[in-house]
Amino acid sequence: MAKLFAAIDVGSYEVGMKIMEMSRKEGMKEIDYIRHRIELGTDTYNTGKISLERADELCETLLRFKAIMEEYRVDDYKAYGTSAIRETENKLIVLEQIKLRTGLDVEILSNSEQRFLHYKAVASKSEIFSRIMDKVSLLLDVGGGSIQLSLFENNALVTTQNIRLGILRIRDSMSDFASRSTVYEELLLELIDNQLDSFKRLYLDDGKKKIESIVIIDDYVSHVIQRYNKNQLVMAEELMRFVDIARTKSDEYITRLVGLTEESASLLIPSIVLLESVFLMTGATSLWAPGVSLADGIAYEYAMEHRFVTAGHDFENDALECSKRMAERYQSNIPRNELVERVAVDIFRCTRKLHGMGKRELLLLRIAAILNDCGRFVTLDGAAEASYGIIMASEIIGLSHAERLIVASIVRYNKVDFEYYTEMVKRTLIERPDYLRLVKLCAIFRLADGLCRSFRVKIQGIRAALKDQNLILTVDTDENISLERRFFRRKSDFFTEVFSVEVTIKQNKRNIAI
Amino acid sequence: MDKLNNPEYYYNRELSWLLFNERILGEARDRTNPLFERLKFLSITASNLDEFFMIRVASIRDMVNAGYSRPDIAGLTPVKQLQELTSAIHKQVELQYSTLNKVLLPRLSEAGIRLILQHEDLTDKQKKYVDDYFMSEVYPVLTPMAVDSSRPFPLIRNKALNIGALLSKKSGARGLVQTAEKRKKTNKDSYEFVTVQVPGGLPRIIMLPYEKDEETQSIILLEEIIERNIGKLFLNYNIVCAYPFRVMRNADLSIDEDEAADLLKEIEKQLKQRQWGDVIRLEVADDIDEKMLKLLKEEFDCSEEELYRIQGPLDLTFLMKLYGLPGHEDLKCAPFIPQIVENLTPERDIFAEIRKEDILLHHPYQTFQPVVDFIRQAASDPGVLAIKQTLYRVSGNSPIIQALARAAENGKQVTVLVELKARFDEENNIVWAKMLEKAGCHVIYGIVGLKTHCKITLVVRREEEGIRRYVHLGTGNYNDQTAKLYTDLGLLTCADTIGEDATAVFNMLSGYSEPLSWHRLVMAPLWLKDRFLFLINRERDNALQGRKAKITAKFNSLVDQDIIRALYEASQAGVSIDLIVRGICCLRAGIPGVSETITVRSIVGMFLEHSRIYYFENAGSPEIYLSSADWMPRNLERRVELLFPIDSVPLQKRIIHILDVMLRDNVKAQVMQSDGTYKRPDKRGKEAVGCQQCFCEESVSTSKRRKVEAMRLFIPEMHEDE
Repeated sequence: MAKLFAAIDVGSYEVGMKIMEMSRKEGMKEIDYIRHRIELGTDTYNTGKISLERADELCETLLRFKAIMEEYRVDDYKAYGTSAIRETENKLIVLEQIKLRTGLDVEILSNSEQRFLHYKAVASKSEIFSRIMDKVSLLLDVGGGSIQLSLFENNALVTTQNIRLGILRIRDSMSDFASRSTVYEELLLELIDNQLDSFKRLYLDDGKKKIESIVIIDDYVSHVIQRYNKNQLVMAEELMRFVDIARTKSDEYITRLVGLTEESASLLIPSIVLLESVFLMTGATSLWAPGVSLADGIAYEYAMEHRFVTAGHDFENDALECSKRMAERYQSNIPRNELVERVAVDIFRCTRKLHGMGKRELLLLRIAAILNDCGRFVTLDGAAEASYGIIMASEIIGLSHAERLIVASIVRYNKVDFEYYTEMVKRTLIERPDYLRLVKLCAIFRLADGLCRSFRVKIQGIRAALKDQNLILTVDTDENISLERRFFRRKSDFFTEVFSVEVTIKQNKRNIAI
Repeated sequence: MDKLNNPEYYYNRELSWLLFNERILGEARDRTNPLFERLKFLSITASNLDEFFMIRVASIRDMVNAGYSRPDIAGLTPVKQLQELTSAIHKQVELQYSTLNKVLLPRLSEAGIRLILQHEDLTDKQKKYVDDYFMSEVYPVLTPMAVDSSRPFPLIRNKALNIGALLSKKSGARGLVQTAEKRKKTNKDSYEFVTVQVPGGLPRIIMLPYEKDEETQSIILLEEIIERNIGKLFLNYNIVCAYPFRVMRNADLSIDEDEAADLLKEIEKQLKQRQWGDVIRLEVADDIDEKMLKLLKEEFDCSEEELYRIQGPLDLTFLMKLYGLPGHEDLKCAPFIPQIVENLTPERDIFAEIRKEDILLHHPYQTFQPVVDFIRQAASDPGVLAIKQTLYRVSGNSPIIQALARAAENGKQVTVLVELKARFDEENNIVWAKMLEKAGCHVIYGIVGLKTHCKITLVVRREEEGIRRYVHLGTGNYNDQTAKLYTDLGLLTCADTIGEDATAVFNMLSGYSEPLSWHRLVMAPLWLKDRFLFLINRERDNALQGRKAKITAKFNSLVDQDIIRALYEASQAGVSIDLIVRGICCLRAGIPGVSETITVRSIVGMFLEHSRIYYFENAGSPEIYLSSADWMPRNLERRVELLFPIDSVPLQKRIIHILDVMLRDNVKAQVMQSDGTYKRPDKRGKEAVGCQQCFCEESVSTSKRRKVEAMRLFIPEMHEDE
């Protein structure tokens, strides 16, 4: 029998729930989509807190959602809160209230996790997705608090940036002008253009890089496009005609025209102006509005996890590609990093029985290898700390905040003395299971880094064998590795401490040069 | 374009409604109808007129009082409308009573039933009988009320029948009140006015015992008995005169929903207030004493136009009771038994039948039972997760309510949208809304400011292949009683697209945001009007481009000006438009250059025409829709209504057949003339077609044929050991 799953999204201006039916045979099917409008973001962005009344309304809504879940007898659910809850000062109190009153566990998504789910939601529409992502395209993900711009080339994600230009934030910050200024739209445009400018300079080669399509994820423009255009694709000229109409007519007229409620109009206008700016910045020729929501992403992720669907796109590759672009930007020693990555992967694979970790941890290890020296761009002295800082401050799509912390910490503790949990938790709030993952990954990474100590060494292959609590690493290289052996001893102590095995290094010279 | 706004092209809605009531009155005057049916039609015109007064006349009175002077689409200001209405209503009332007195009562007498209009005409034996009846049954429940300076004029209940009397004191007796006595000393001619309400709880018609050797059944009305015995209520007085009277008050119930924290309480409160609105009609016996009349007119602040002198018994709704008297079956139409629908007998799995194909039900020709069974089976089906339904007007002791309550008790999620604002039905609605809540149903009261008029039921069922939704959509209410009298259509389907839309409808009604897009359903007030205009305009454009273009629509009222304009434009483009409009129609058919291609007919028959069908030719690939909505602004702009398509080809054919028969009706149909009046079509040389009769026969013969087919089935006898 098919499973029923509820995906709940506690957003900045709306709480939504999708009931999805999942089966291996049919994949995913939407059964119900319930949305309740509640502007949590208005509280958070203006006062930093969610007010008592809104928290109460939120609980009431979730309670009703729960009743609907019971109605469908759903088998499982996931509930996520996004920026409005994430940025509120009283988030723990709000979450606890929800838990006590509704019994629902609402988890908070970091921005990158949230965007990644949006992105997965788009990818769930696999057909058009692969066609569009094949070319140079920009994914514009419009939220209440911020927008996310993700650049794609050749079916891979190149970069992703978060800009605090959410429509609720724009509207509220411009609310003084809205009633008084006749040039409200122009002011909006100016405000948005200023903020988009840096993105243009850094990632679009100051406008020289041409983008073909824009993919938009939002609740307003998508609604309009879906209403008029069933295939969800619009050409730029057509869009600009609508933008012109929207800019000259009253809110009331527009809402009637597009079938939105009037309260939505106040958010439709900033959305349109934002989209217009992005079009002007990129010179794109078409727009795709797949009309997906976070709830789709939540459901898609769940379906993938439980193998109801198979992903048509390699999301891990996106994270790797993104990291590689970052490494390039910080002028890393790419050949060496590639070597470290390869050796680390080899050690990881050979010692699977020892560490018991899986694919996801391997990905983190690879990203750590790619980014391990990015701090050198800032300073040679204390590069590890600088790398840590850079990684923590960067968006790597597909990594959760906790995972990003693991990656940054691997890089950091590769160079500085490892800290035990009680110490580390003082500065990073790392969770216990994540700490244990970090410890194991760090031990492996240190070995790999030690083996590649000298930048000139060419290691062709590595094999591992575990005999009587002794890990023997046989390195295939014809070069002198005495320097590596020295460093390696120091680095392997940590590995021994973590896994309780001694590590011995053996050299296998296959083509001895005479 | 502006030419189409010409008031001459439109008919005033109130006057058009009066024409509709006149058509019903025509049925009372139609000799081909059995006598008791004619009495029933006359009774209907009376109760219709009462409601019309309380809602429509009251509303126009309000406009006049408020100084509102904007003309309606027919160019009439409220003052002018009131004038024309008053004169038309007076004429109609005259026609009602001449029908009664000159036609129906004599016929009734011939049939052996004699209505004694004046108690003075009773025989001695009958007098004794009614006096005894008065003392034992009536006297205990009467509450006489006197009027004098210490007792203000009592509040006379809306619509209730009363007897007013003038009294003079018997010599030597003490007056009702001291002050009255004092007053009499100064003015010898003054009388005391008393009034007593004819109790609504007692039967209005009293059968009198048979006289010797007589076969005629004599009957008398309760008010006559009270009038005859009124002296017994005021022993120290002489009765100078006694006459019945009745008042009608403004009862337009307008609730400011934004201010009402609790809608339910607000309506309960409004109900109590309703009886005490302004008096807008005073009915008195034609021969009333002038002194008493003067007093009543002053008390009720009633003008000459608002005064109705009635030549016969007041409040003709008693005729419906007369119809209900046992016996006299030969004077009534044989009751039609709604036919059982093949494969939809109660023991069949209705869900399996719906999965096979969409099912169309045509009531009352086909029984309403499958709709009840649909909910009843859902209530006990283990796979059913939820039942959602809108309820507008349901019958007392409704099997649907019982099934919903049982579903909730069985652990199903039951959501019921109860529309409290169904006119004159509020009290009833509140009772069963509370009952459903008690049973564990989730009762919601709809969207603030909008009456929920759509009729939709959604059953969510978890099946082997996943969630499946079964939907019933109807043109009429979920009322098993009226489904025997109203013609309606209903669709049972499990199409995914309609199921998803139905889910969205209930989400919206529960207060959640609207869905991002709709598949097949169109909802008012957001999109329905635009969709109708689109569909009409598409026919217009098709006609202009030389493609096939035709509109056939059947519904209850046509008032919306935008729709009428669109129809005029379509007509000008050459679209052939046939409208079957039961009641109000503000469109004028056959105006040269404006509506030449439009025909309007109205069908008034034994059953109340209630279905709404919309057919659009669409250049040869017809689209057929059913709806809960008429073409009135209130349906299109102020109510939650639904338009749903009929996609299945066999069902489309059935609907086309239904429309075709209705258009061929020349027995019960009346066709609008270019002057706005209605006339029966010329039958000469044509086969007589009565659509309701035809549908009755068709449903019986289909049902019989199936029975015969079932009997022909060879079922081999099985022995236990086989």
